[in-house]
Amino acid sequence: ISRVPGEHSPSLCILADTRQICSGPEVLSCLRAGHGLRVQVCSLGSSDYIVSNRLAVDRVLQSELQSPGNRNKLSQRLQRLQGISERICVIVETDRVRPGETSRCFQRTQHYDGVLSALVQAGIRILFSSCQEETAALLKELALLEHRKDAAIQVPTEPEGHGRDILNFYLSIPNLSYGAALNLCHSFGSITAVAN
Amino acid sequence: PVTAGSIVVPLGHVIGNEKWRGSELAQRLQGKVRLIFEDGLGLVDFHLPNRTCILLISEADLVAGDGFKRRSVKFRNASSLRGIVIVEKTPISDQYYLGVQKLVVLELGMVLLPVANQGEASQLIIQLVSFCVREQSRERGSNPFVGRQRARPAEPAVLQALQRIPGVGRTKALLLLQRFGSIHRLCNADTRELEQAVGQTAAQQIYTF
Repeated sequence: ISRVPGEHSPSLCILADTRQICSGPEVLSCLRAGHGLRVQVCSLGSSDYIVSNRLAVDRVLQSELQSPGNRNKLSQRLQRLQGISERICVIVETDRVRPGETSRCFQRTQHYDGVLSALVQAGIRILFSSCQEETAALLKELALLEHRKDAAIQVPTEPEGHGRDILNFYLSIPNLSYGAALNLCHSFGSITAVAN
Repeated sequence: PVTAGSIVVPLGHVIGNEKWRGSELAQRLQGKVRLIFEDGLGLVDFHLPNRTCILLISEADLVAGDGFKRRSVKFRNASSLRGIVIVEKTPISDQYYLGVQKLVVLELGMVLLPVANQGEASQLIIQLVSFCVREQSRERGSNPFVGRQRARPAEPAVLQALQRIPGVGRTKALLLLQRFGSIHRLCNADTRELEQAVGQTAAQQIYTF
């Protein structure tokens, strides 16, 4: 755990999915170094980030919303997430222009507007970001906001030994989020206590 | 002031603020949706079906200062309708976007959608309207992002959960499930009962877990 001492409240914690190490390394390093948040990378599976006990965040690239090909994948993912998490936020990030590549003009498609409409109607919060740094800043804002609403993750996020096994047990319960499983670990002495 | 929390917009219609008459946006909307102009909509630029209002913030509004902020806050405080703020995000107004987003989405809890110009705004509004039409005409649940609650059988899940107990594989999990039926009963079983289902060692492991 990287805990940067600073004026930020040290309890501010974000869980990140392991896949983000590859797809969003700058988001992670900005969160840690730039904003001084505690970032715990774990295999969340369901969402890219968990910002509070009730808010899950998915990071999608603008190009993914452009083409109808991705629609099914995205909708399945968000549907599953809705079963798990009370609130969902999608951060739409502008694709990075690789060096040597001329900046492609963003062509707004009908499909893109359609997806946005569907997201809005589904009550999913949408944020727009132009780069990974901005995404990190947005995640921090979300975490702060949830902290103010007393929904922040405030339990230890890295159980060891026996606690690890128990966490894995809770994680196998369908529709239980990683955050909820952590909370169960923390607030109950044993599985028997939860079952009763 | 915000007016008419109670405007009911028929499907496929849009009620536009009089000030948009003759604009590029309005011209592009016409023919695609049924656009009706009305006076005195106050803060709102367009009323859509489904109790949704659109506030449009132009590039010029963004650059000019805080007027649009007051407008959004006023709308939020005065209306129970869903507010969608459409903002012109251009190379010039780009620098203000993050601030607007923070206010509108994070603080006011409204929806904010960026467009590059009025043309894109009209496309977006058309999609918002036609989405409502599609959703109404089909049975509910046509929205790909609204999860359908499917009752899934619990047993496979229980079986998987049991296999997370150290020392328990598929075979023992099946045995345990047969004998105890539920996690609840398993938790309250004592070592002797467990021993009858699985061996002594495993029973001890399960009990301590």
